[in-house]
Amino acid sequence: MSDIRKWFMKQHDKGSGNGIPAKPKAPEKPAPVSSQPDQSGHGAQEGAGRRKTSKYFSSDKQKPKDETCVGELSLKRKAQNISTEETNDVKPPPGKKVHNMDDDDDFVLSTSTNALDATPSKKLKSGSGRGIAKKSMDVDESGDDDVKETKSLSKAAGRGRGGRSGSGTPARSSIAVDESDEDGADEKAGKSLKSGTGRGRGGGAASAAPAGGRGRGGGGRGGFMNFGERKDPPHKGEKETPEGAPDCLAGLTFVISGTLDSLEREEAEDLIKRHGGRVTGSVSKKTNYLLCDEDIEGRKSAKAKELGTPFLTEDGLLDMIRKSNKSKTTKPEESPKPVDKVLASPSKKATPKSEKKNEVGISAKRMETKGSTPGGSSIKQKKLVMQQSLPWTEKYRPKVPNDIIGNQSVVKQLHDWLVRWDEQFLKSGKGSNGKKQNDSGAKKAVLLSGTPGIGKTTSAKLVSQMLGFNTIEVNASDSRGKADSKIERGIGGSTANSMKELVSNQALNNNMERSQHQKTVLIMDEVDGMSAGDRGGVADLIASIKISKIPIICICNDRYSQKLKSLVNYCLLLNFRKPTKQQMAKRLLHVANAEGLQVNEIALEELAERVNGDMRMALNQLQYMSLSMSVIKYDDIRQRLQSSTKDEDISPFTAVDKLFGFNGGKLRMDDRIDLSMSDPDLVPLIIQENYINYRPSSAGKDEHGLKRMSLLARAAESIADGDIINVQIRRYRQWQLSQTGSLSSAIIPAALLHGQRETLEQGERNFNRFGGWLGKNSTMGKNYRLLEDLHVHVLASSESYMGRTTLRLDYLTLLLKQLTDPLRVLSKEEAVEKVVEFMDSYSISQDDFDTIVEISKFQGHPNPLDGIQPAVKAALTKAYNKGSSSRVIRTADLITLPGIKKAPKKRVAAMLEPEETLVEENVDAVGENEEENSSETEESDETVDPKKRLQAELESLNSKGIKVEMDLKGPGSSSAKKASAGRGRGRGRGKASSEASAEKKGGRGSGAAASKRKR
Amino acid sequence: MLWVDKYRPKTLDKVIVHEDVAQNLKKLVTEQDCPHLLFYGPSGSGKKTLIMALLRQMFGPSTDKVKVENKTWKVDAGSRTIDVELTTLSSSHHVEMNPANAGFQDRYVVQEIIKEMAKNRPIDTKGKKGFKVLVLNEVDKLSREAQHSLRRTMEKYSASCRLILCCNSSSKVTEAVRSRCLNIRISAPAEDKIVKVLEFIGKKEGLQLPSGFAARIAEKSNRSLRRAILLLETCRVQQYPFTHNQAIPPMDWEEYVSEIASDIMKEQSPKRLFQVRGKLYELLSNCIPPEIILKRLLKELLRKLDSELKHEVSYWAAYYEHRMRLGQKAIFHLEAFVAKFMSIYKSFLIATFG
Repeated sequence: MSDIRKWFMKQHDKGSGNGIPAKPKAPEKPAPVSSQPDQSGHGAQEGAGRRKTSKYFSSDKQKPKDETCVGELSLKRKAQNISTEETNDVKPPPGKKVHNMDDDDDFVLSTSTNALDATPSKKLKSGSGRGIAKKSMDVDESGDDDVKETKSLSKAAGRGRGGRSGSGTPARSSIAVDESDEDGADEKAGKSLKSGTGRGRGGGAASAAPAGGRGRGGGGRGGFMNFGERKDPPHKGEKETPEGAPDCLAGLTFVISGTLDSLEREEAEDLIKRHGGRVTGSVSKKTNYLLCDEDIEGRKSAKAKELGTPFLTEDGLLDMIRKSNKSKTTKPEESPKPVDKVLASPSKKATPKSEKKNEVGISAKRMETKGSTPGGSSIKQKKLVMQQSLPWTEKYRPKVPNDIIGNQSVVKQLHDWLVRWDEQFLKSGKGSNGKKQNDSGAKKAVLLSGTPGIGKTTSAKLVSQMLGFNTIEVNASDSRGKADSKIERGIGGSTANSMKELVSNQALNNNMERSQHQKTVLIMDEVDGMSAGDRGGVADLIASIKISKIPIICICNDRYSQKLKSLVNYCLLLNFRKPTKQQMAKRLLHVANAEGLQVNEIALEELAERVNGDMRMALNQLQYMSLSMSVIKYDDIRQRLQSSTKDEDISPFTAVDKLFGFNGGKLRMDDRIDLSMSDPDLVPLIIQENYINYRPSSAGKDEHGLKRMSLLARAAESIADGDIINVQIRRYRQWQLSQTGSLSSAIIPAALLHGQRETLEQGERNFNRFGGWLGKNSTMGKNYRLLEDLHVHVLASSESYMGRTTLRLDYLTLLLKQLTDPLRVLSKEEAVEKVVEFMDSYSISQDDFDTIVEISKFQGHPNPLDGIQPAVKAALTKAYNKGSSSRVIRTADLITLPGIKKAPKKRVAAMLEPEETLVEENVDAVGENEEENSSETEESDETVDPKKRLQAELESLNSKGIKVEMDLKGPGSSSAKKASAGRGRGRGRGKASSEASAEKKGGRGSGAAASKRKR
Repeated sequence: MLWVDKYRPKTLDKVIVHEDVAQNLKKLVTEQDCPHLLFYGPSGSGKKTLIMALLRQMFGPSTDKVKVENKTWKVDAGSRTIDVELTTLSSSHHVEMNPANAGFQDRYVVQEIIKEMAKNRPIDTKGKKGFKVLVLNEVDKLSREAQHSLRRTMEKYSASCRLILCCNSSSKVTEAVRSRCLNIRISAPAEDKIVKVLEFIGKKEGLQLPSGFAARIAEKSNRSLRRAILLLETCRVQQYPFTHNQAIPPMDWEEYVSEIASDIMKEQSPKRLFQVRGKLYELLSNCIPPEIILKRLLKELLRKLDSELKHEVSYWAAYYEHRMRLGQKAIFHLEAFVAKFMSIYKSFLIATFG
């Protein structure tokens, strides 16, 4: 049977090479439909799918069995009415496992049913959800048409139709069935089509004829605008992903180009890797196939044509995988060996190097088989028992520098540096006791940097060991505190610091000419974690480097860390790079083989990729996995390390997009929680801002928008719940509620309303807005502050004792009327006089006037200041400012205690600077201000003309040589203006305080003078 | 000066509306023993006026000499010190403040101010009261913690300090605090009383009040004397001499709320909901308290609603108001109410009219 497979592969190669489709399939197409006319629609469809593959391989008696089974299955499905949205993702685990272990006829059933799951389910969808099946049909058809088109267009490109026709068959038959099933569901079809194309593709494709979809997509892709971004595959998620033999693609190298028909790029990669293939980024001689569904004339395809690399369509790939499965399952006597042969055949064309690689794969295979033989395993077992206690990271730590993966040049540099160290720094230092600094280009220390787990420490140790150095490792993470603190004191010479001692000891050794003594090297590990605890650590290290008689190797993770800025100048910088995944995989394979673990290289490469170059982590993971399983496959690694790749940052907008997206309902719960937790403050706000805009897909047919409205109400209530929970979390620190909070503030509204976004206002862009609450809340806060200012001023007029809320609700309308109406009605002078009088009676300032106007503004209502001549307004300002001096005392009622506010204190201090005594007096005043304030106010109230008194006092102060700030005289104008640039609150306070200080100073000034006299 | 303030009775004897209460208070004070007092009643009924008149009765005219302070307290709360800032209105005999404005830190304010007062006891008690009075406004908005901290300090420092609490609803004041006070309910003045006051003012101002005009204002004022007087003056500013059927202008925000209500009644769609949200934001950022918005909105809606829905809608309004008080972001709850109403009303409309 493997011959057939081989034949197929070749055929396929040929087919894809010269554009001739795999012929044998063509006559088969009508067969299933015609031969089983009595079967129900989907049965026929399945038959087509099933037979297409089974015709050549399976015996006759098997076929009916299969079909009955499939029929049963589909019936069951139908009965259960399972929504099969995740058909493509569903990986039936038992089928695969069993299939690997044993090749029996029975398992043909299971696997084939697995492979065919999608077909009945699709049909099912059409039963329950309607429309959708139709959609798939339409789209498939369009795809087919498209292919025809492109084929005729780009025959020269040598694009094969073999693969395409393979999957085209079931699609066709489904068309036939579906069309007979339901006609005239145009409206629904259109709808579902729209939904199928989804948001990602923009509006255009949705309304376009289905056939145009692909073509346009292709055109758009070539365009400049879409550069760098890939479209969604046009038939995303519509094809079932076949399960093939786990290594049916082993040894093959693929390059993926352009958009595939139904698979995302990542999915395709995953599929290939899962079946043992390799995916590379660019076309080279080693590339076996260029996987692409359309020729977009890119660099890859050009290169491929140049090199004669065959093109492969997605369907071709799927077929390859499917075929492998069949061949394997129907030929139970075949062992992995022929698979290897198959592997070898295509790679013959490739360079010998790749062949070698294949050999590695084969040898790995052999290992597996060997592993099962009792002799080989027993030896290994022994070894295992012996060294089981050691972690692999220790056990397989490189023993010689050549073992170190990657960074060989860096290691070499390190080696050279260490070799030359002695002669560079000590030869001349013999006489002058190391005083001579030989720093012309050479550095006395070396700084190794690189991400964790790539062998910095290991190489440092190895190189030193190899050169016969005695290594002393100062691990900063555990001995830092001690070492550092003593280093600092060590400079003073009080304590014998180990490091200092080390450094000087070596010098002694050299002086005594006992060079036979072992040389020492100091390895300072994790120097970037060093200065966290106490300062001076790095500085002292530098000092040590300067006087050191032994080489010092410093190791850090981040060379550009701020802490190491000074150290960098004294060190030779060696940067370790992450090893490539191939390098890592090689080493990991070595380890795995030594441990008797069956892993293929692809899986290890995946592991290497997942751990992000961290060899230590890879080994740890491998060891951990070895505890539970002896055979590790690609999927295992994928599953196990899935969480580690998810640590990407997503913006709250993306999170909201995903939650509300058309597929939002299919997300798993923990995915949703992850999304909503990506920013637990912003996501709920953005959701609250935008939930109204979504047309919920769960509402279905909704004539009057009734369902949508009730969903909206539910969502709104849930969001309000979230607010209540948030209060509990923040105010009462009930952090255990945070998940509940994100559930009700983000997940539930999204679950209720996910669907398509629509715009509610004209000219609005159809993207999620940023949460408006923050802005509105700050406006509200600002207005409240302004209102409070006004309130305080009104209170200060001691005419009224109303509360702030009362002021806003009841008074404000009338206040506004009193302030603006006269300006409109009366003549200029009269009006201004009246308004200013009114403002004075409530000590409303010019700013308060603006506040009143501002707060009374409502959107859609006329501005309260409409109809007032600018000249009148200007006159009002002028009149107010003119009279401002007379209301000093009134606003001076607002006394801020100088001791508490910092700014006024400074100002007072600055004002009183010239005379020392007065400054003291002022400090005293700060202490006693309580009682004095009250007495002063009473005093000032009693004086007939307080303003004059103040003036007089200011003058007296002036005569004493005290510089008085001029803005005190006009608190209404200059100081207010100055402050008005700041926040509202600050304005009021600032003014109050300046006035207060004026008043205060006046009072104090006289008081101080009086007290002096008394003394 | 506005008439509200101009004709505010300065002494207990001049009080027109709550004469009986005023007389009782006078007796209470003249007997030299003043317990803690709790005034409660709807806004515009004269609580504040009575309190000020009472203080004047107790301490004489020096109570009028008030100063406004922006006080900052440094409160030592366990591990950190909190700066609490509040505006106080104080004379040598009393301190008035609104601790609810301090938000969540209100309990520190209450404790601190009372302690501070107790420290500064007037030495010379000859012929004067041996205590200061602390007037706390909006006690019903105090947090539960603050009220609890209040009850201890009330007893402990009662020798040096008397409290006069003022609030709208006594039900939000804890039982413990209520039982430590002499509760005085100030009811909203009856409409004929309001008419009397309006006519009094009209006479003093020399206005020609058409017959029935004062009654209309009184009716419109919702039995709030303050609002009635303000309305009268607003009318006066707007148009004088008065005419019989002169329109009484509504408050700016009330007008806006009724616009929202009619918006909601006209159309129930996501788009409208979105527009309503914008308007609600407008009201909120113009410093209208959300509770008042909701109350007013309900009132406007009920006026236009079919009677069978009234009950349900009122229920939901109460439901969301409660939740609004539990929560923090009022707009969420207001919006939830509007959405709920739209949902109910829409289904009602479709059920009745198809």
